[in-house]
Amino acid sequence: MVSKFGINGFGAWLRRQFRVIGAIAWKDLRIFLRYPANALMSVVEPIMWLAPAYFMGQGFSVNGQAIGFAGFAGTSDYFSFVMMGMFMSSYISTAFWGTGFSVQEDMTLGVLEPNWVTPASRVSLVIGRSVITLLLTTLNSIGVLIVGAALFGVNLTGNVLAAVITMLPMLIALTGLGLGIAGVVLSVRRAGAAIDISNWVVSQLSGTTFPVSVLPRPLLAVALALPTTYGFDAVRSILLGTKTMLPLKVEIGIMLASTAGMCVAGYAVFKTFERRCRRQGLLGTH
Amino acid sequence: MSRTMPHTVRVFLAAARRDILITTRYADFVVSMLVWPVLMPSLTVFAAKALAGPDGSGLSAFAERTGTTDYVGFVFAGMVLWMWLNMVLWSVGGELRAEQRRGTLESNWMTPAPRLAMLLGSGLNQMIVSIVPVIASLAVCSIAWGVRFAVTPLVGLVFLVSTMAMFGMALAFASLVLFLKELNAAVFFLRGVFMVFCGLTSPLSVLPPWMRTVSKALPLTYSIDLVRRLGLAGASYADVSRDFWILTAFAAGLLIAGCLAFLFVDRAVKRSGTLGQY
Repeated sequence: MVSKFGINGFGAWLRRQFRVIGAIAWKDLRIFLRYPANALMSVVEPIMWLAPAYFMGQGFSVNGQAIGFAGFAGTSDYFSFVMMGMFMSSYISTAFWGTGFSVQEDMTLGVLEPNWVTPASRVSLVIGRSVITLLLTTLNSIGVLIVGAALFGVNLTGNVLAAVITMLPMLIALTGLGLGIAGVVLSVRRAGAAIDISNWVVSQLSGTTFPVSVLPRPLLAVALALPTTYGFDAVRSILLGTKTMLPLKVEIGIMLASTAGMCVAGYAVFKTFERRCRRQGLLGTH
Repeated sequence: MSRTMPHTVRVFLAAARRDILITTRYADFVVSMLVWPVLMPSLTVFAAKALAGPDGSGLSAFAERTGTTDYVGFVFAGMVLWMWLNMVLWSVGGELRAEQRRGTLESNWMTPAPRLAMLLGSGLNQMIVSIVPVIASLAVCSIAWGVRFAVTPLVGLVFLVSTMAMFGMALAFASLVLFLKELNAAVFFLRGVFMVFCGLTSPLSVLPPWMRTVSKALPLTYSIDLVRRLGLAGASYADVSRDFWILTAFAAGLLIAGCLAFLFVDRAVKRSGTLGQY
């Protein structure tokens, strides 16, 4: 890109992409704020999902400690374990729904074609959706963490900054995943059910509400193939002092490698399906 | 009167047929019907298994509170009924919202066809569609996890009465959609309330007293408890009669209230002229 356009050309190109991303992000923020009830529910609903987990933990606990759970996870603080899982799995939802499903939303609203015939990069159009959803997800998740901690008690003894830095490669990888999913949705055109299921399965098998070691071997193999599993494990180890499946440095290395892989693969999948849809004239079909 | 009833039935069946055709036109409905009832309870059971511990040390605390060590059946009963409630809540109100978005609500409602019959026809489609996931879930629970639910006429009756109660709530929600123009937040909130207070995955004894009081005011609490006691613990009618009649009273009350709410809102929306507003 730099050699083709020169440094100045690359700078101009980059500025254009940021302008597109910013415009899309601003549009999505305004839509989000236009439905205040939905905005409020984005904080309230996760708390409602957390409450049954808390009470289920209490059902198996002795004096508030999940002693059986400690045998699997290395901590008897089941709720803090689940709270961190929910926090991180919200980013998986962002990849599937916020980025991947955004294409179908645009199709339904009839704005996909008008947006895509502009000179704006289509990758930037999709990335723009993910920027604001990542931001809103972070704000939501922090809100949920604060409310969850106040209601049920959360005990984070580790280094939060280290945990955030450890999580960053996973967020970038998930953006790549979302891009790839957007490409698939472009072709399939009605993917709500598949995205719903995939999102939930990936979240659960990554270890949102239980350590993956409880899974039977076939499912454990699937869980270990997900880069997010190592992300969850590493962040929990830093914040809660739980045992990791592999040495922490190895898990971080796996996440970094998968970040590069998922971004490249996601881009390739998106471009492939986008080319196919343009050739077949499917962009405007519903 | 002699012409009204056949006319109403025709509208009811036409709406049901339309919705069944739409549902089956997109193959992903099969995925929803068969995959969720298997995935959601099963993955929740893994969380319970983790809590029980590799040595079962958490299981004794659970057994003391619930009277059973069968946490798989316990979790499945709660999750299946909650999923059923979820489907019913989305069905009727969601159908109205879908018609608003498609732009067919006003044109359908300008016809002389009884609106309640149209709504109930959509509900029939959802009832048929939602039975399949329940059967799938119970089958997986039995085959994959080895849990045996006693499927007796009384259990079937509990499901039927529970469905009536849920449908009454769904009718009330359909009314809300006409006012609020947006369904998601209301359904998320209500299903969240049921999730928190009805003992889906935990015994009610672990809830604080004020939450147990709220639980007693929710029909799903009785549905879940009845299915667990009848289907898993082998209780008889005599053991559960009180709670069964409480659930029946809920069902009757909610159905009547739902119909009345819908008719009231229908009239109000017509007067204000906001029916077609998106």
